[in-house]
Amino acid sequence: MSLNAEFFRFDALSNFIGIFVCIFTVLVFLYSLGFMPKRKGLIRYYLYILLTLISSLGVVFSNNLILFIVFWGFLGLLLYLLIGFGQKTNTPATAKKAFIIIGATDALMLLGLAFVWRISGTLQMDAMRITLSSKVAVWAYLCLAVGAFAKAGAMPFHTWVPDAAEDSPAPVAAYLPASLDKLLGIYFLARLSIYMFRMNNSMNIVLMAVGSFTIVAAVMMALVQHDLKRLLGYHAVSQVGYMVLGIGTGNPIGIAGGLFHMLNHAIYKSCLFLSAGSVEKKAETTDLEDLGGLAKFMPVTFITFLIASFAISGVPPFNGFASKWMVYQGIIERGSSGGFIWVIFLVSAMFGSALTLASFMKLIHAVFLGQPSKHQAPSTEHRDVSPLMWIPQVFLALLCIVFGVFVYRVPLKMFIFPALGERVSSSGIWEASPATILIIVGIVIGIIIYFLGTLSKIRETESFIGGESLKDNPQMRISGTRFYDTVKDIGFLSVIFKLAERKLFDIYEVGAKITFAFNKFLRYLHNGVLPTYLAWCLLGMGIIFYILFK
Amino acid sequence: MIQAVNIVPLFVVVALGGAFIVSLLGKRIKAFPDIMGSLTTFVLFGLSLLAIRLVNVYDVLVYSVGAWKPPIGIAMVIDGFTSFMLVTVNLVAFLIAVYSISYMRQFTSKWKFYTLFLLMVAGMNGVVITGDIFNLFVFLEIASVASYALVAFGTERHELEAAFKYAVMGTVGSLFVLIGIVFLYGYTSTLNMADMAMVFAQKPTSNLVLLVSVLFLMGFGLKAALVPFHAWLPDAHPSAPAPISAMLSGVLIKSLGVYALCRIFYNVIGLHHNLSGILMFLGTLSMVIGVFLAIGQWDFKRLLAYHSISQIGYVILGIGLGTPLGILGGLFHLFNHSIFKSLLFLNSGAVEYATGTRDLQKMGGLKERMPVTAGTNLIASMSIAGIPPFNGFWSKLIIIVAAVQAGFYGHAFWAVLASIMTLASFMKVTKYAFFGRLKDKLNNVKEVPFSMKLSMIVLACICVAGGVLFFSAINQAFLQKASGVLSGGLSYASEVLSALQQ
Repeated sequence: MSLNAEFFRFDALSNFIGIFVCIFTVLVFLYSLGFMPKRKGLIRYYLYILLTLISSLGVVFSNNLILFIVFWGFLGLLLYLLIGFGQKTNTPATAKKAFIIIGATDALMLLGLAFVWRISGTLQMDAMRITLSSKVAVWAYLCLAVGAFAKAGAMPFHTWVPDAAEDSPAPVAAYLPASLDKLLGIYFLARLSIYMFRMNNSMNIVLMAVGSFTIVAAVMMALVQHDLKRLLGYHAVSQVGYMVLGIGTGNPIGIAGGLFHMLNHAIYKSCLFLSAGSVEKKAETTDLEDLGGLAKFMPVTFITFLIASFAISGVPPFNGFASKWMVYQGIIERGSSGGFIWVIFLVSAMFGSALTLASFMKLIHAVFLGQPSKHQAPSTEHRDVSPLMWIPQVFLALLCIVFGVFVYRVPLKMFIFPALGERVSSSGIWEASPATILIIVGIVIGIIIYFLGTLSKIRETESFIGGESLKDNPQMRISGTRFYDTVKDIGFLSVIFKLAERKLFDIYEVGAKITFAFNKFLRYLHNGVLPTYLAWCLLGMGIIFYILFK
Repeated sequence: MIQAVNIVPLFVVVALGGAFIVSLLGKRIKAFPDIMGSLTTFVLFGLSLLAIRLVNVYDVLVYSVGAWKPPIGIAMVIDGFTSFMLVTVNLVAFLIAVYSISYMRQFTSKWKFYTLFLLMVAGMNGVVITGDIFNLFVFLEIASVASYALVAFGTERHELEAAFKYAVMGTVGSLFVLIGIVFLYGYTSTLNMADMAMVFAQKPTSNLVLLVSVLFLMGFGLKAALVPFHAWLPDAHPSAPAPISAMLSGVLIKSLGVYALCRIFYNVIGLHHNLSGILMFLGTLSMVIGVFLAIGQWDFKRLLAYHSISQIGYVILGIGLGTPLGILGGLFHLFNHSIFKSLLFLNSGAVEYATGTRDLQKMGGLKERMPVTAGTNLIASMSIAGIPPFNGFWSKLIIIVAAVQAGFYGHAFWAVLASIMTLASFMKVTKYAFFGRLKDKLNNVKEVPFSMKLSMIVLACICVAGGVLFFSAINQAFLQKASGVLSGGLSYASEVLSALQQ
């Protein structure tokens, strides 16, 4: 393409990301029409969404590193403004925190850009092929990668994601932290690791370590949350681990898996957030304690949420399984070259997947099954949310199924493999279609057996005393929120959870503490006494004299 | 050429004349000070734009005061650097004069305010325009004395105290400058800067030059509020009325401090290698210490004042690098800082005007009541924090890239860190002042009057457009000329002297 190749470049990878950026924008826009009315400043809201679309496309298609960083940095500001539309008490603090973390890493990216320019003498992204041989090159890579990590929400720069998920309006949470920021962050990581830099073994291992640590640590935190959107936020962090892990493997199948997982994640996670938004709209709360039994009030939302939950947990034949499977294969293939550390990565990835399933079981029980809570808004009618809201949800849920069942024919062939531009061979691509048929047949047979078994021997008994109407005994209700609270009691984990509650792992809080300690010291020095200030001047002059004349 | 040169003294004459007329008639005619203040500064701004054009044609304009030929008489010089500073100073002065029309209604005797204000502008223009080192000291003192009086303008207890501290420290700084000038005069037997540079080029370097460098570094460094000479600033800048704070932080510390420092070190005595290292070190130190002091403040204007120290650090770091790219970045940041910092101070003034407080903890949710102030404040905050595509981003980018290019990775890192802290502290401002729930006490708050809004909006537009300007032809005429003068170093002398021959 000749559209000024110096500044913009259209290749298969950026085209594919660009297409999905547009799709998500349309869906979120539709959903917002249903979700946002009756709020102030809606014109600005849609303006920001539009600007976000433009800057995201700018990020994806720019070929000049400065241009890239301009769009990229502007997205941080838009994120800040969009989170600001939330109506929780904590919203301003959350918006501030998110922007500080994103802005800080953007500033580091400037340093990375300066390093890159010093090494390669060009800022054109497709003209670079930097080997990680010198220290400066390593720093350049790390500074730039940090930006991608923070945007996507990989540890240790993840702490803004759960907060933002909880305190921003649901469509914003679905739009930025869940889909667009993931797409862009992982896009840039892939661009860096595949095209701009030549990765070496140790850097790959760093990436994989970050990825697998993110998977496990974030999912452990997700287990014990009791806010619907915050829990989803932690999963949004955890899933980034798979993408980083996949790209870190450095072999085609792993990278393809990482990118595919990025796409899948954006689909099911925005579906989850949108469904959570519908729940919030209906029940006017996202606290799991106060939710329950919503399945019969909002069947569409329930089904979309269920499908997306299966997808994120990696249940075949949904799309999450296919991409996780590819990531696993990437790790195994890497392991075939020797070493043992890959086993740890593989185990943590699989373990994380299991824990994801576990936490979604809790979530579905607490929100859609179980008993309605007494706090439930009395106005809950037998009606789902407006079509403007459920159409995007259904569309995304359908994508989850299509991308899972026709994995080889649709997403991989159309988007992922062309983006990588090389033939991906593997020890066994997951053939989803026959497997799906087998699964469906299995389920049908199961249902038949169930009915055959129950048909013959129905018996009627008095119901168990605990099963009496809950309206009379509200304290008997089990919301399921605390299913996994016992995990906090396991030996060393209990220590870690306690430290996490004190926010000692939050890079933002720790940074703030250090900053204010330093600030206190400096303020102590500035006591407002004139002679002291004059003494400083003379002292400073004396020191400069000494340096110049020595 | 002959006609064009006559524009040169106007920068001082118009400002001084305006001050004189305001003090003469301002007491009698009610709206006169307002009109005269805005009109004078507007004329000055127009003239400075003309100066840019003329410099593009003639490169250097030299005017001999009273037709006494330099080096005996006093010379006034406009070159790229000067015209750049003139535009910065007079643009900001004009917008602040417009702002003051409404803001200064809270105070009595407006005419005194405008007299001092125009006197200060005259002093700053004089410092920038003069080609004579003793004349520079005279203008420096005019501007400083006017600013001492303006800091005390509210005549409350803490304002007087701050003005006193400022006056004492400012005078100490001026005295060191004077001693330095005395030494230079004794060594070179001339006061004309171009002539002096010629003498230096012929004489071997001596320790006296180093001594004078340190004296100037201290004197001008104090005016520029470099750490450790900065301590007067956080008291003085917040105490002044908001337009004056904007003037002090926006342009005074730059024309009196940074401009004079650069002009003398780069164009007259030549930058000693060690001195460049010291400049960069002081710049980095100011950058970091300023921002760490700022982040804990709850007084809106005090927080901004500390950021001035920090941002001056960037300017000095960029210029101290000595590479063309570094100087370009430093000067660009100087211009940008004068725009967004004036805007921030005007915002703080607007908030104080509307709510009567400067304490961030007593504010909250103001964006509902004061959308213009909140919006412009957000833009200015983004600019100072270096968020693309606002103007501060570009200059910081250039400074960081220049530092890395020159091999100073450590300095570049500190610059990035200070930028992060800047973002954090301005996030604090927006969160506490403008976001969140509106406090009950603030329910009756109204947006500020039109003239204040107008200035803020114009400044915000410049912040937004600043990045675009950088890529346009204006950049060539405006910035490149200025940085060319500094990178040209001692060729300043020959250019000025050859312009005199014509």
